[in-house]
Amino acid sequence: MNRFPLYRIGGPSRLRTRAAAATVRSTRRSFEADMDLFGVLPALTELPHLAAASLASVPLATAPAIGLGITAAQLNSGAIAPEAAILIALLVCLLVDLAGEEAAVRWVPPICYAGLGTALVLLARQWNAPLEPSFLGSFLADDLAVAFRAVVAASTLLSLMISWRYVERSGSPVGEYAAILLAATLGAMFLCGSTDLVSIFVSLETLSVSSYLLSGYMKRDARSGEAALKYLLVGSAAAAVFLYGASLLYGLTGGSTGLDAVGVALQTSATPVTALALVFVLATVAFKIAAVPFHQWTPDVYEGSPTPVVAFLSVGSKAAGFALALRLLVGCFDSFDTQWKLLFTVLAVLSMTLGNVVALAQTTMKRMLAYSSIGQAGFVMIGLVCGTEDGYAAMVLYMAAYLFMNLGAFACIILFSLRTGSDRISDYAGLYQKDPLITLGLSLCLLSLGGIPPMLGFFGKIYLFFAGWADHQYLLVVVGLITSVVSIYYYISVIKMMVVKEPQEASDVVKAYPPITWNLAGMGTLRTALVACVLVTAVGGVLSNPLFTWANGAVTGTPMLQQSIASSAAREATAIAAAPVPPTPAILG
Amino acid sequence: MTIASLTQLICFAALSITLVVGSLGVVLLPNIVYSAFLLCGVFLSVAGLYLLLNASFVAAAQVLVYVGAVNVLILFAIMLVNKKEDLAEIPRLALRRLLSGGVCLGLFLLLLRVDLTTPWAVPGPVGIGEGATIRIGEHLFSDYLLPFELASVLLLMSMIGAIVLARRDVFGSDLITGEDVDQGLIEKVRPPLLLDPTTPSPSALQETI
Amino acid sequence: MTTAATLSPPPVLEAAVTPGLDLQSGFTTILEGFGLSPAAAHLIWLPLPMLLVLVAAVVGVLVNVWLERKISAAVQQRIGPEYAGALGVLQPLADGLKLLFKEDVIPKRADGLLFTLGPVLVLIPVILSWLVVPFGQNLVISDVGVGIFLWIALSSIQPIGLLMSGYSSNNKYSLLGGLRAAAQSISYEIPLALAVLAVVMMSNSLSTVDIVNQQSGAGILSWNIWRQPVGFVIFWICALAECERLPFDLPEAEEELVAGYQTEYAGMKFALFYLGSYINLVLSALLVAVLYLGGWGFPVPVEWLAGTLGQSVEAPLVQVITGSVGIVMTVLKAYLLVFTAILLRWTLPRVRIDQLLDLGWKFLLPIALVNLLATAGLKLAFPGFFGG
Repeated sequence: MNRFPLYRIGGPSRLRTRAAAATVRSTRRSFEADMDLFGVLPALTELPHLAAASLASVPLATAPAIGLGITAAQLNSGAIAPEAAILIALLVCLLVDLAGEEAAVRWVPPICYAGLGTALVLLARQWNAPLEPSFLGSFLADDLAVAFRAVVAASTLLSLMISWRYVERSGSPVGEYAAILLAATLGAMFLCGSTDLVSIFVSLETLSVSSYLLSGYMKRDARSGEAALKYLLVGSAAAAVFLYGASLLYGLTGGSTGLDAVGVALQTSATPVTALALVFVLATVAFKIAAVPFHQWTPDVYEGSPTPVVAFLSVGSKAAGFALALRLLVGCFDSFDTQWKLLFTVLAVLSMTLGNVVALAQTTMKRMLAYSSIGQAGFVMIGLVCGTEDGYAAMVLYMAAYLFMNLGAFACIILFSLRTGSDRISDYAGLYQKDPLITLGLSLCLLSLGGIPPMLGFFGKIYLFFAGWADHQYLLVVVGLITSVVSIYYYISVIKMMVVKEPQEASDVVKAYPPITWNLAGMGTLRTALVACVLVTAVGGVLSNPLFTWANGAVTGTPMLQQSIASSAAREATAIAAAPVPPTPAILG
Repeated sequence: MTIASLTQLICFAALSITLVVGSLGVVLLPNIVYSAFLLCGVFLSVAGLYLLLNASFVAAAQVLVYVGAVNVLILFAIMLVNKKEDLAEIPRLALRRLLSGGVCLGLFLLLLRVDLTTPWAVPGPVGIGEGATIRIGEHLFSDYLLPFELASVLLLMSMIGAIVLARRDVFGSDLITGEDVDQGLIEKVRPPLLLDPTTPSPSALQETI
Repeated sequence: MTTAATLSPPPVLEAAVTPGLDLQSGFTTILEGFGLSPAAAHLIWLPLPMLLVLVAAVVGVLVNVWLERKISAAVQQRIGPEYAGALGVLQPLADGLKLLFKEDVIPKRADGLLFTLGPVLVLIPVILSWLVVPFGQNLVISDVGVGIFLWIALSSIQPIGLLMSGYSSNNKYSLLGGLRAAAQSISYEIPLALAVLAVVMMSNSLSTVDIVNQQSGAGILSWNIWRQPVGFVIFWICALAECERLPFDLPEAEEELVAGYQTEYAGMKFALFYLGSYINLVLSALLVAVLYLGGWGFPVPVEWLAGTLGQSVEAPLVQVITGSVGIVMTVLKAYLLVFTAILLRWTLPRVRIDQLLDLGWKFLLPIALVNLLATAGLKLAFPGFFGG
């Protein structure tokens, strides 16, 4: 008796599932027993209180699969080795935390570095490795996923480095902070590589729930609580909308959740239901990358959350959002690219305009960076809308550049607020005399964010605009250029505040600036991260060739993107063939 | 029409009516406790619909998770903080309600249109009834292994996070420097530090007044 | 039951271990003999077992109340009810009648609708759970595949009713009692479910009938209690807590909360609570019997007995006898457990609420998890003994 689903639409990964099913059948007698039990488990583990039960199942990740007759080789579980390293670091953090806060302060940072470092090394080993879907089609470690996972892991590493002192200074437990941030990383990294609607949803929720917890981590502060509550409510609504869209997609495939099957089903269905599913899925993606008009949560959450958390949210979470956008829109909705590209054009124009214009009026650094991050997301969307090889590569490159310049800026802000307890822009007045390091670092990072030539951000931005221009996205590029100029204004005004003011014009907090010391635990790593970010931002621009190669490699090494590029090229070719006189040469004369 | 299909039809009608009326009640009733209890009814009717679809395991899971855990927790939260408060009047409430009602109606009509225009593949795959439990288990440990295991991380994190946010013991001082801490954001909205201590700061002035 | 059984021809054999009595097929065959269509015959049959079990449950409660009174009297060296019927057996009936005719008071400031709905919501899931209690291979209302899981799910509805009645009474003791009851119920449900899970893992099925069948074969030696001693203790403690029996009757602790969520109730509504709690006790005892004490199994395997007496197991008379023995055994085991519950009530002091929650979360839950893990390990190591 074949109990395995026969109604599934076959795709490459489905075939693998069938093969596994054959193995399953042969060993049915021995494990049929377990199945009833395993059927009970999920429902029970859903019980909020029963989360403890899942603790037991975490280390046994592969054990049940062995019982099913599916070997680790078939699962290709090596693909998630970087995530496994982070998971181990997470569990060790929690165990160390049991020994008390002193032990946690001492041991948690090295554990996190070890886990994230291992993850980055393992990710490097996966680069250009032979591609094979893992977990029977739930996960795919293509180069795009590797690139985005690396961005996420690096952003966590840097966020952690700049957060120790901040967390200790606020009197919050360090062990749990690191564990929750690592869980968010885990969710974001899985999100980058998920190729199955269920995996996408669960990893999205892992990321989101951890983010809610982190933004409410300063629990005695009303602003933090407000931020967490707002984030939770808006995020839950977005998750519900995503689930609705995913259920429509599941219905369209007729019983499969794999993205490849969804893509196949979408090619043949051109009904309103697809449009609805597209809008729902797009809303979730837009929420995650904070595109206008799905951005309302951003300023409040950024202002109320602990600053290192904001650093992670603005880079790691956003990178995962863009990876999700690529997977869903380019991977699944490829046949609807005119529709979603139109929608994304609107989103990008709105984000660039509103983000950069509203940032002008902000008086605190965190809020200003919140709006600036909305604008930056708008720039990245240009690459997504292009849909060319250059466009995708520019996205990857800009995310990597954004990682360093944004985290560098946040490192400076954290350092300043640790020393003065303020993040008002006016309080930065005359800082260059008291703290040249912050002044230099923040200036370089902000200049890079604005896209001033020798910096890394300039090359990222110019590549984006170049890709957009090459793909005839003139509107987007023009809006991007204009808003870049606007953004330069507010970035520069901060720098002006720090550098140009005379000593007597310095703000009161700067006049009362404490002596600069680095000997407290956590300050050293903060300095290291700051210097590293600023160095990469400043020098990376001139030496950006490896980054270009890397970003291009991420696109060429990803079959999904190549397929999409090829198919859109084919469509264009047929369109040109259909129109006897191409209009563009005529205009160009 | 056989007796079985007639029974099924009646059950479906009853459950659907309970579901729709109950959900409307959840949203529209002003008394939040009623809303919470009606939510329980809604969850139970959904479980009933699952039963009609021969998915008894899913139905039982629905009851256990949503009624037994989620709804009880909602009720707990409501009853523990059931404070009567006179909230400020919301301006133009009627207009707001009309607007949100209009949006909901529009969404409903859109969904209706989608529902009617889509060529659904009916009848779908035949239900497997009692075998569903086994099938679910097989899926969870084959093609849904990754999300299943990831869900354990998610649950672990939610549990730890809930405990962190809820527990009372806090550190009164910075472990390294011994300074007083308050578990708040470092970025305080402080009065300027170098203000003349003899003249009271604006906030202090307000407090004394 | 027995009359229907004697009238029935040998039942249609299914792939089960011991076919046992099959009243349904017998009954429908007879009705079809009268010229009814199979569907109509099925329809006529459907309410019968439900009614029968409902009556059995209520009678069970009456017996239970009588036992409680008599045993508590014996524990305290009193005589107990004496005048209503022989040995006071009619006393519970008199109690019930009194409650039935009492004035039904709804407090003025209470929420009438929720106040009425609360006790109903408490009682219905308990009665529904009798669906899955087997008294023999085919003597079960519905051998649903999710069996024992259905019971766990249904018992999680009960706290809603308790919260409802606690809230609607508009009385602080009621509200506190309701909250306590719900907290207690959801806390102890988890170790309970984990204990059940260990049994389910051994029997490879959620169906109560399969669980009992897996314990047959070697009579008393094959009962789950030998393989799951820890699970048995956990389950029994949790079942007592779920039933709010002493030492866990905090929701209605007289000294602290008057009578908890029942404070404002009188008449029939109070009777519903009363009925609900006793039906729940009997049900829990029955399920302990099913899960750990071999259900309807006789301590000596029936097949072996029939074999030594030179009878075929499939002979109609033997089937009737084994069926009756099965019912008697199930009920006997259950009432033995009820007896211990009553003894416990009159010998143990009540725990404090923090002790109660500590016991549930910090002791029973980890133990239940370890038990589950150990069972899984043993199952892999000794598949023959722990259900391969």
